Amino acid sequence: MAEKSKPSPDRRQFLAEAFRYAALGTLGVIGGAAFAKRYRMVQDGKCVDSGLCKECGLFEKCYKPQVWQIDPYKCIACGNCATYCVLEESAVKCVQVYPVCGYCKICFGFFEPEPHDINEGAENQLCPTGAIKRTYIEDPYYEYTIDESLCIGCGKCVKGCNTFGNGSFFLQVRHDRCLNCNECAIAAACPSGAFVRVPADRPYLLKEVEHA
Amino acid sequence: MTNFRHITVTVVFVLILCSIGSAGAIRFPPPEFESGYELPDTTVPNPRPGIYDYIDTIVLVLALGLSSYLVLKKRSRKAIFALTVFSLIYFGFYRRGCVCSIGAIQNIVLSFFDPGYAVPFVVLLFFLLPLVFTVFFGRTFCAAVCPLGAIQDVVLLRPFSVPSWLENGLRLLAYVYLGAAVLFAATGSAFIICRYDPFVSFFRLSGNVNVLILGVCFLIVGMFIGRPYCRFFCPYGVILRQLSRISKWRVTITPDECIKCRLCEDSCPFGAVKKPVEQWPAKEYDRSKKRLALLIVLLPILIFFGGWAGYGLRTTTAKVHATVRLAERVRLEETGKVEGTTDASDAFRSTGTETSELYDDASNIRARFGLGGWIFGGFVGFVIGMKLIGVSIWRKRTDYEADRASCLACGRCFEYCPREHLRRKKDSTSQNITAEESDKAEFKSGGGR
Amino acid sequence: MTVNSDSTSRISGAANQWYASAVSTAIVGAVFSLIILVLLVSNFIRSSVIQAQREQELINQKVEIQNRPGDEQLLERIRRLDLQYRQNLFRNLDFMRKGAYLLLGSVVITLIGFKGASSLKKRMPTLQPAADRLTEQVCDAKFSRLAVTAGIVVLGFGALLLAVRPEIAFFETIQLDTSIPSPEQISKNWPRFRGPEGLGISAYTNVPDHWDVKTGEGILWKTEVPLAGMNSPVVWEDRVFLSGGDPNSLEVYCFDAFDGRLLWTGSVGRLSMRNDNESLDVMEDTGYAAPTVATDGRRIYAIFATGVVGSFDFDGNKIWEKDLGMPDNMYGYACSLAMFENLLLIQNDQGYVEDEKSVFIALESFSGRTIWQAKRPVASSWTSPIVAQIDGRYQLITCSNPLVIAYNPADGTELWRADCLGADVAPSPIYANGLVFVIEPHMNTLAIRPDGSGDVTETHIAYKIDFAPDICSPVSNGEMLFLLSTDGLLCCYKTEDGTKLWEKEMGEYFQSSPSVVGDKLYLLSEEGVMFIAEVEPEYKEVAKIALGEKCFASPAFADGRIYIRGRKNLYCIGN
Repeated sequence: MAEKSKPSPDRRQFLAEAFRYAALGTLGVIGGAAFAKRYRMVQDGKCVDSGLCKECGLFEKCYKPQVWQIDPYKCIACGNCATYCVLEESAVKCVQVYPVCGYCKICFGFFEPEPHDINEGAENQLCPTGAIKRTYIEDPYYEYTIDESLCIGCGKCVKGCNTFGNGSFFLQVRHDRCLNCNECAIAAACPSGAFVRVPADRPYLLKEVEHA
Repeated sequence: MTNFRHITVTVVFVLILCSIGSAGAIRFPPPEFESGYELPDTTVPNPRPGIYDYIDTIVLVLALGLSSYLVLKKRSRKAIFALTVFSLIYFGFYRRGCVCSIGAIQNIVLSFFDPGYAVPFVVLLFFLLPLVFTVFFGRTFCAAVCPLGAIQDVVLLRPFSVPSWLENGLRLLAYVYLGAAVLFAATGSAFIICRYDPFVSFFRLSGNVNVLILGVCFLIVGMFIGRPYCRFFCPYGVILRQLSRISKWRVTITPDECIKCRLCEDSCPFGAVKKPVEQWPAKEYDRSKKRLALLIVLLPILIFFGGWAGYGLRTTTAKVHATVRLAERVRLEETGKVEGTTDASDAFRSTGTETSELYDDASNIRARFGLGGWIFGGFVGFVIGMKLIGVSIWRKRTDYEADRASCLACGRCFEYCPREHLRRKKDSTSQNITAEESDKAEFKSGGGR
Repeated sequence: MTVNSDSTSRISGAANQWYASAVSTAIVGAVFSLIILVLLVSNFIRSSVIQAQREQELINQKVEIQNRPGDEQLLERIRRLDLQYRQNLFRNLDFMRKGAYLLLGSVVITLIGFKGASSLKKRMPTLQPAADRLTEQVCDAKFSRLAVTAGIVVLGFGALLLAVRPEIAFFETIQLDTSIPSPEQISKNWPRFRGPEGLGISAYTNVPDHWDVKTGEGILWKTEVPLAGMNSPVVWEDRVFLSGGDPNSLEVYCFDAFDGRLLWTGSVGRLSMRNDNESLDVMEDTGYAAPTVATDGRRIYAIFATGVVGSFDFDGNKIWEKDLGMPDNMYGYACSLAMFENLLLIQNDQGYVEDEKSVFIALESFSGRTIWQAKRPVASSWTSPIVAQIDGRYQLITCSNPLVIAYNPADGTELWRADCLGADVAPSPIYANGLVFVIEPHMNTLAIRPDGSGDVTETHIAYKIDFAPDICSPVSNGEMLFLLSTDGLLCCYKTEDGTKLWEKEMGEYFQSSPSVVGDKLYLLSEEGVMFIAEVEPEYKEVAKIALGEKCFASPAFADGRIYIRGRKNLYCIGN
């Protein structure tokens, strides 16, 4: 054990003081750089990097406080959303976009691919928890709504609707339930990289009707 | 019914032919309703309004300020504990332990390396504020504000002391954890601090089973060994340690002077009480000087070998990144070395991207892990070298002091000090105690000065 | 910290009561927590097992209901099972949530009890006898150094364990042979459809001109090919390659050139075959493996009717695979592969001109990476491209309906084009005597001067011959051009100006293209009969040898050997 050539208490104090200023300076630089980056990127409430951001609508790269969301065009409805969420009842639920829906009598998100009969029997439904409600509107249109308290986010209806229907059913993170974890466990497990960070003031990526 | 099935089957068959997995094709035209039906809206519940995040920041500042006051001025363990419980409830159970200052390291690092990510302001503050307070007041953040520390503090029932050599060895883990967290955050692979946070499952009251079990283990260990995560794993603690060494004001066991009564030796559950150090004979001094010289020479060697090891691990560490895993899987499938496909490789193929692009991306990421590995490994080597040197250097000490780096400012040691008792009595009765009477308060222990 | 028995007496009577109640609270809380924990864990395990079982049963039953429609009992069972599943699911969620809160509450109570107890019980600090501080500190330091060293060893060991894993290389070029064969090497082998330059001319004149299938004389070996295909054999040194396919498999075969053993079989297309067992239907006459494979002496490349391209090294290891998508081609995709330096050239003609689907693709041979693509305003075709060296530069010449287009094979830039073809173009182009010969089936054979640029339709067509085969590609020995129609009419013209020299009715049907060996012509009929003939000044038949098997593929020529693929077998003719 060697003795340090003891600087006198004054010198030691001076050193400590110097280091303190250095530390505060470094923290200031880090903070400034991190903050400046954000400020530089968001001006007048619009993303400057407009090549990526369509009117701050849909994209991964935006710099406001962020929440997690699913890009419905990348989602392959693998079923991980139901199992990987840290919450027992996943914060991801299926949503229905009514203008896109075809209101089909034989809904491919509601019925199994080859249903036994066109009624609401359990043997005919895709949804394992019966969360889709089918209501008659007028001939031949039926309205399909999702009861969020029953939906578990498994994506079976999404797969059916995307493959054979209009794709009006898709999975979205529900922000009244989502904890907004720093690292979303579902995002880490998503096979198609459909989880993106979106600005908190535009927290949903809903499909829109493609105008003919 | 069979006709019906035939129709369904035909329709389905036709649609299979048209399907090719597109997510956006409108196959059925939007209906035109005659009954005056109006399309409902899709509900879009909003996330927590941003103002609440700022309120959290204000609470953080107040808690930090209060903690510093209670530790340095008021010196009341009971008050510190009360604040600890409040922080546990607020930052832990109410805010679900997220975003915490520890995890914020990763966000800052990511923002420096990912051009497409910038740190939200509140997260930045959560990272900076405790550091700033530490520069002035020592680890008062650890004392009563950090929810992870709070939950460990609350379950500490019967502390057993960890021998100092074990403590020194285990503490290296925290440095490795910090280095790894920075490496994975910088390459955009994962936030491992968040993924393996043992206590967050309790705050959320749900979570991944493995992490939950890890948390239970930590808490059980934490009942008998004080704050194991804080002392041996916390990456933020690594930074706090260094800043606390140079803090302007620091925690002292005694409010004024140390009378070397030795009563505080067993007071710290975290092993942060430093005992006075004596003079030692010249023989020892010579030997240790040689040793120190050797260790200083060893330092760059350790850094180099550490960096080299880190570089050598790049293919394994790169696997943490999802793109690399995907590229490897696609390559194995393409060369027929593995049967079948996974969701991820199917999803990749359906995007129609060239595999060579994927492989290029993965190779680039591997290269980044190579460079990052040098830095990470070098850092670990540096830390090990410095630790060896630090353990071999002795500074003369006459009083019982709280180790500036390790002291978590919990205030448990205050009660053990007779001078503290005196201060409290003085504060409450404002009597003058003579030096004689203060001597009477000493326990006869037979030496030790 | 041992307890000094004296000190317990320091707790006063009233405090003792509090202490006792604190301890009892702690114990009760602990027991309660444990019970809840056990309940939660057991419920979790049990329900996950049962729910998994139920889910599987539901799936099975839903499948069964397809087979037994109208079975009321089964319906009832399904509905009841489904109800149980759903109820259980939500009941579990509820239980977990409530259990978690209860557990939290009881743990808190336990902790309050413990903490209360320990704060009430004041312990006196005990002091160990003051050890020799110095030795203690020296020892501490020594052990700390040892501990850190142990830490280094542990970390190092851990790093070693992690690092010893096989690295999955993507394209480490050290492992891949990225060299290209020299023109000399290429000319010595038969590396693609119709030979090294796609002209059907053998470099070797010592090939056999007689053999007998019945006695086996002149037949070196005969091996059965596992799956049939229309493609022709490809030969490189001591290897012969073929491909074959059926609705379930797309395979590449490698035979030993001298003894005919099937060395290895490579398989492609398993990745893109869709899971619902839907076969990608192809016209039976064309089959799945109509395009001939190609090789550069380092790897073998194959493309199939489903649009899948694969590459294997000569030991059978798959190097890469690519799915170009099912071509829209009514008769089935049949364009053979061509190569230029390190590029694999694929003529991907599809649909009608207005569909704008046709494209010419060049892939990097060792990686499969797309190097260049050129969209072609043409319809489907069944010709194969050739790469010819004309006036010191290379031209990639392609025929389709309606355009003949020549590209620079290195980067896909268009050199010239001629709008002169139509209908279903199947015969491939050739280059001979400074002219490019292309065929518009049943209409004209055209000779185009390849030294133009841009649209040369009006300016560079040297002459037209009003005889055109519909399947067989032409062949030329430089002075004479030979055209063979499917129904057996062989015509010979002067390449210089297109004057007809002679014609011969062969009396058989032909699908394979004629070949030139030295000064002789080799024609292989559908029945498997090889006609060998001298061509000057008239057709003079030298040999007519039956193989005994139907043949649609063109033969391949090597040093002293001919390789013929019949419907079922691959023959090696030689001595």
